Amino acid sequence: MNPAATFAILLGLVALATVLGLIWRAANGRVSAGDQSLVRLPELPDARVTLLQFSTDVCAPCVPTRVLLGAIATENDGVQHVDIDLTHRPELATRFRVLQTPTTLVLDSRGAIRARIGGAPRATEVRAAVAEILGARTGAATGASAPRAATT
Amino acid sequence: MTEQPSTRDPIDPRGPRFGAGITALLLLVVVALDLSGFTTPATVLLGAIAALFAWGAFAGIQRHPYGVLYARFVRPRLAPTSEREGAAPPTFAQGVGLAVTGVGLVLHLAGVPLAISVAAGAAFIAAFLNAVFAYCLGCQIYLGLLRAGLLGRSARV
Repeated sequence: MNPAATFAILLGLVALATVLGLIWRAANGRVSAGDQSLVRLPELPDARVTLLQFSTDVCAPCVPTRVLLGAIATENDGVQHVDIDLTHRPELATRFRVLQTPTTLVLDSRGAIRARIGGAPRATEVRAAVAEILGARTGAATGASAPRAATT
Repeated sequence: MTEQPSTRDPIDPRGPRFGAGITALLLLVVVALDLSGFTTPATVLLGAIAALFAWGAFAGIQRHPYGVLYARFVRPRLAPTSEREGAAPPTFAQGVGLAVTGVGLVLHLAGVPLAISVAAGAAFIAAFLNAVFAYCLGCQIYLGLLRAGLLGRSARV
């Protein structure tokens, strides 16, 4: 192959890898709406908001995610963090359609999936999702029409 | 109640990414050599890269030569970090790299054309994504193997 064609292929490889990386980074850690289905697991605590993290033994971003979600649970009354290692419970990966680790489900007090995060979560987005659930509950408890405040 | 994933042997996460950067550059050199018709040097270099992957996969990422390079010459020049990750993900990733480059070498020796370039190109993309974006392909493959029932459960409990 002539040098120009070889150089073009090398450049193409670098460009392809860069584009793949940028696409991945744009989607990674985003909070998306949950499907509201109910989660029943013996591990689930009785909390207003549960941050349910799925990890494995081989998962670099799971460790910082555990630290972040643990901190958010500590700073908010009624928020709990549960980390489940799928290495020992692979059937849960299928049940909750976990396609990457960490995957975090944000559950309300009924256990309904209100939000879903694939990859290392973004702190501000998790806090906003938690605040939305806590806010809605408070509104309902005081009899006000719970406003679905857009917290973004 | 909370099951905690293992954090044995925490390491500076920048070390494996530094190594992945060197690997990515070398893999690009392999592609360039192979496409330019220097197939034998390309094969030898890919063989050396595969041997380094084997080193990392079997001896553990902490004993990998690039890790030693990083600890001696690079880390002293960087600001310290409190970030730590387990040694398991990058060690598993070395095994994935060994599998990809190994398959390329075997196919090449079996006479499949362009096997060296395709394997080196695929491994380059994974190494580049790891070095530049901290993307962990090994983590993804590990989960895939778990879901396929090839790993986990009885193996580690």
